[in-house]
Amino acid sequence: MGSIAESTQQALVLLFGGDPDLWVIIGISFKVSLTALLIATPFAIAMAFLLAFGRFPGRRLLITTFNTLLSFPAVVVGLTFYILLSRQGPLGEWQLLFTQPAMVIGQIALALPILIAMGHSSLQATDRRAWETARTLGASRTRAVMTLMREARFGLLAALLAAFGRIIAEVGASMMLGGNILHYTRNIPTAIALETSKGEFAQGIALGLVLLMMAFLLNGLLQVVQGKGRPVA
Amino acid sequence: MTELTYSAVRKTYGKREILAGVDFSLRSGRCVLLCGENGAGKSTLLRILAGMERPDYASVTRDGVTRRWREVKKRLLADCIYLHQTPYLFEGSVRYNLNYPLRGARAIRESFVREGLAWSGLDAIADQAVHQLSGGERQRVALARAWLRRPKVMLLDEPTTNMDHACRQRTVELLHALKQEGVALVVTSHDPNHFVGVADEVLELASGCLGRAGPAYMDLPEKVTPIDRRARATA
Repeated sequence: MGSIAESTQQALVLLFGGDPDLWVIIGISFKVSLTALLIATPFAIAMAFLLAFGRFPGRRLLITTFNTLLSFPAVVVGLTFYILLSRQGPLGEWQLLFTQPAMVIGQIALALPILIAMGHSSLQATDRRAWETARTLGASRTRAVMTLMREARFGLLAALLAAFGRIIAEVGASMMLGGNILHYTRNIPTAIALETSKGEFAQGIALGLVLLMMAFLLNGLLQVVQGKGRPVA
Repeated sequence: MTELTYSAVRKTYGKREILAGVDFSLRSGRCVLLCGENGAGKSTLLRILAGMERPDYASVTRDGVTRRWREVKKRLLADCIYLHQTPYLFEGSVRYNLNYPLRGARAIRESFVREGLAWSGLDAIADQAVHQLSGGERQRVALARAWLRRPKVMLLDEPTTNMDHACRQRTVELLHALKQEGVALVVTSHDPNHFVGVADEVLELASGCLGRAGPAYMDLPEKVTPIDRRARATA
């Protein structure tokens, strides 16, 4: 117990004492995950729209596929892209393995199913009359799409937060694709795994606290946002 | 004066024929009341007239030029406004909803919104969130929003359903105002008596065909529902 208390105390000192290594790790985590989210979101929303309102052969198969990918383990995603990006792999020429872009690719693959599945659900739940009303009031297709996104904004934001929560905390893909290189590809979860394996709990706890606070903040934000969403007939 | 004539409007859902070659004309400042049983195809016809639902076949004559429905769909969407039985209001305030169909500079839009609020008598609730409104108020917001778009044709699906007498009166007054401004109106209703004085023609849709309304829809004494009685008693 004494060791845990001592480690936690050290963790707080590291966290609030401005330990540069710790903040570099936190910075890399946010940079990689936000980049992945930024790249994945436009495609995911377009796909969610297509699945919610399009009628084409294979639509149900696509929905089932994305729903299945929700439970795809991060380490398997890491393995898949490791094979693709390794020197002998089909994308080996790109020389991306053990770089931040490789981590971004892995996190995009993890974020996409969440964004698409949750985005699809929230868009499908919007009233069909919203689209028709926008169109009959003279909105172009683009404006009608924007209107629908506004009507479904709470669900879409929940999808964004859920996806961000998953990719910033995943360890498998980041470890395999990033390689855990200090000051370059070492992010919060891979640093926690490493420090724990060395028996250095203080930094691990400090980084764990960051993740915990972030999860708390994201969930709090989600609650506030969802509380504001009211059903409109 | 705008005149729109729809010819041979056909629509089937699976094997069920909803519209079997319906002919229909619309003229500025005229109101057509469309009656019929539930499932007769009134809403489907309105949606086709508005350019929102594709018929199996229809041709449309607009200002003397005849084209197939598909070729004039965009024009119909621009000319017509369709109001759902329960109008959909975008989340936000009454003001936000009235602002939606408007274009141009903010000051101009704001002046139009004020005009719309005055026209529909909604000034007092301009900044109220739409989820707090009553059914009658929602209908008036939808009508004012549609009016601000300055449509040539307005198609209203059961606009007075579930309304008490006072709300219905206010809605009918707004329809009167629209008609006087030259808007062509098509209204579906189970009860034509709600629209006495507004409707110029009452048509009945039955078995996929449109004809003059039968006696079942004409000259009925006004139905008084319990909710109406309460409204009148308190008036």
